[in-house]
Amino acid sequence: MKSNAACSLPELIVVIVNFGMGSKIIRHAKRHGITGATVLLGKGIVKKPLLEFLELHETRKEIVLMGTAADKVEPVMASLMEKFQFEKPHHGIAFSIPINKILGTKLIACDQAQEEREVEDVVYQAIFVIVDKGNAELVIDAAQKAGARGGTIINARGSGIHETAKLFAMEIEPEKEIVLIIAEKQLTDAITAAVRQDLEIDKPGKGIIFVQDISKAYGLR
Amino acid sequence: MNVFTEKIREVLFSVLPVTLIVFIFNLTVTPLGFPLLLRFLLAALLVIIGLAIFLIGVDLAVTPLGTLTGENITKKNKLWILLLAGVILGFFISIAEPGLLVLANQVALVTAGHVSSTGLVIVVSVGLGLLMAFGFVRIVYNVPLNKTLTVLYILAFVLALPTRPEFLAIAFDASGATTGVMAVPFIIALGVGVSALKKDSTASEKDSFGLVAITSVGAILGVQLMSVFAGSKELGDSLHVALSTETSLILPFLEALPGALRETVFVLLPLIVIFLTLQQIMFKLNKKAFRRILKGFIYTLVGLAVFFTGVNAVFMDAGSMVGYKIAGTGNNFLIVVTGFFLGFTTILAEPAVHVLTHQIEDVTSGYVKGKAVLGALALGVGIAVAMSMLRILIPGFQLWHFLLPGYIIAIGMSYFVPQLFVGIAFDAGGVATGPITATFILAFTQGVAEAVEGASVLIDGFGMIAAVALMPIITLQLLGLIFQIKTKKGGLEPDEE
Repeated sequence: MKSNAACSLPELIVVIVNFGMGSKIIRHAKRHGITGATVLLGKGIVKKPLLEFLELHETRKEIVLMGTAADKVEPVMASLMEKFQFEKPHHGIAFSIPINKILGTKLIACDQAQEEREVEDVVYQAIFVIVDKGNAELVIDAAQKAGARGGTIINARGSGIHETAKLFAMEIEPEKEIVLIIAEKQLTDAITAAVRQDLEIDKPGKGIIFVQDISKAYGLR
Repeated sequence: MNVFTEKIREVLFSVLPVTLIVFIFNLTVTPLGFPLLLRFLLAALLVIIGLAIFLIGVDLAVTPLGTLTGENITKKNKLWILLLAGVILGFFISIAEPGLLVLANQVALVTAGHVSSTGLVIVVSVGLGLLMAFGFVRIVYNVPLNKTLTVLYILAFVLALPTRPEFLAIAFDASGATTGVMAVPFIIALGVGVSALKKDSTASEKDSFGLVAITSVGAILGVQLMSVFAGSKELGDSLHVALSTETSLILPFLEALPGALRETVFVLLPLIVIFLTLQQIMFKLNKKAFRRILKGFIYTLVGLAVFFTGVNAVFMDAGSMVGYKIAGTGNNFLIVVTGFFLGFTTILAEPAVHVLTHQIEDVTSGYVKGKAVLGALALGVGIAVAMSMLRILIPGFQLWHFLLPGYIIAIGMSYFVPQLFVGIAFDAGGVATGPITATFILAFTQGVAEAVEGASVLIDGFGMIAAVALMPIITLQLLGLIFQIKTKKGGLEPDEE
């Protein structure tokens, strides 16, 4: 770990693109010093009444997670922007969020505690809502009422200790959905409040919400 | 890019190859005549649009319904509910399958009414239902898929001993016929639904597939039992290929439409009944989700009707014409090569194939790429059709000569290939034998048989579907082996940096 890698704060780059693009993003990002990436499958949902009526408002998405040093975010993002043109509609979005620690990669050896993170003006925030499977649509509905423009649903499973059970000879865990909503900071409170109320998040076992600052976002309109 | 354009693009790339091939044949060895060619292009357009709409419908209705059903009946945690649900679901899906009805009528024909078509449909459907229940039990009690399939296929081959060779072909064809365009997406989703609950994610992934394979053995066993008890007379050769002389462009489509619509309603009905019943007693979906599935069914209905219209109106005619003309050249090499390329390209246009590849991508989070699966599948079907051509051309070459060793290899491989691929491969066997194979390739095979002296349209016509069901199992397991070897390497090598 004591390599010559520059000591820098870790950041997580998140890129959401159409299905099938994930591998291309990774290939491109690797040329700019990204050492690894993880791809999740998700569903993107947009607010368009006609498409919604036709049930065509869902598209398959890939979410690419790449951990890297803060000083690398800028060049990687710039290059991705140039290649994949996130500023155009439907070309995807990308953002980076600050993280406290990253292990298992040679690049970053910095300890967060020693340095103060530069506080930039936070414009956007990422809202994560984890609910039981089937409720993600309700979350998005509630969020849209409060001003969100769309969201990404990621299938997931498993949760609290009291929820595992055994059916026949197999151990099971309940299926969950993670909803990722990017919103302007001033809307966050309204959105979380709407979701919290509509889905009765405060009752036990109904789900959780957490919010994360976004350092920089691309492709949002 | 919204879903519709995405689907159209995906489907376009899968229907274009076969269209191109037929077009090239038209210009070189087998001129189809202008009206038929034009109709073929029009049909290809219908197939593209129909398939795209159908696939949207499957994503909205059929897959969610299957997954929900699988989950809910498992969550009840009662064995009898699981068994009962398996039998009922399997029975009703199978009985509505148009492919099975066609097959049953042919069987009734060759046995001179000894085996009634209704009887056969019921027996096969019961067999399918029983094995569906068995397939559920296998997943929830963690019985390995390869061992399950070994036992089932040994049973099938033991029962094959007292079965007449012609009936053997029918039996193996039945396994392909029952797993049709509606059944496959639903059964795959059922399996995914049951195993998605598993805590152990590797187990969950590998047990997602294999249910189609298990249920289709039910059809094989059903027909074999039937023939053992019913006995059979000498097979007649009463089937003749009618070569199209139709010159009108639009008329065939209008004629095919009512039949296509009826067929579609017929296959969808059991699923809609299942949905409405389970919504009342189990799902209790909210209004939005409920309406969403209903809209999905409308998509499925429209898409499938358009698709069937295109396929039924022209693909059969074009297939038998190409087959007849190509066999007329007397060039055996050309016949076999043509068979390979037609098999290779038509499989890409099979609806269920897209459903399977999507499910594979979803279940493995994109680790197993749909394109790789498509490639292996197309290769397998190409080889299978080429083999069927050989069987027509070489009189002594019988079906079981490659069916038996083929299944021995397939089963043998299942013991050292990653279990995920075993499930995918055996499921693909059922997936490959959909409406396009059953029309275009079957008509092509029969066209060749009609033109080749000494070949019987009926006997050589049967068995092609069996071959198409077998070869992809082997090629996809080979793909699994390649994946296994590649992944091992990747894990050991240090990063490039």
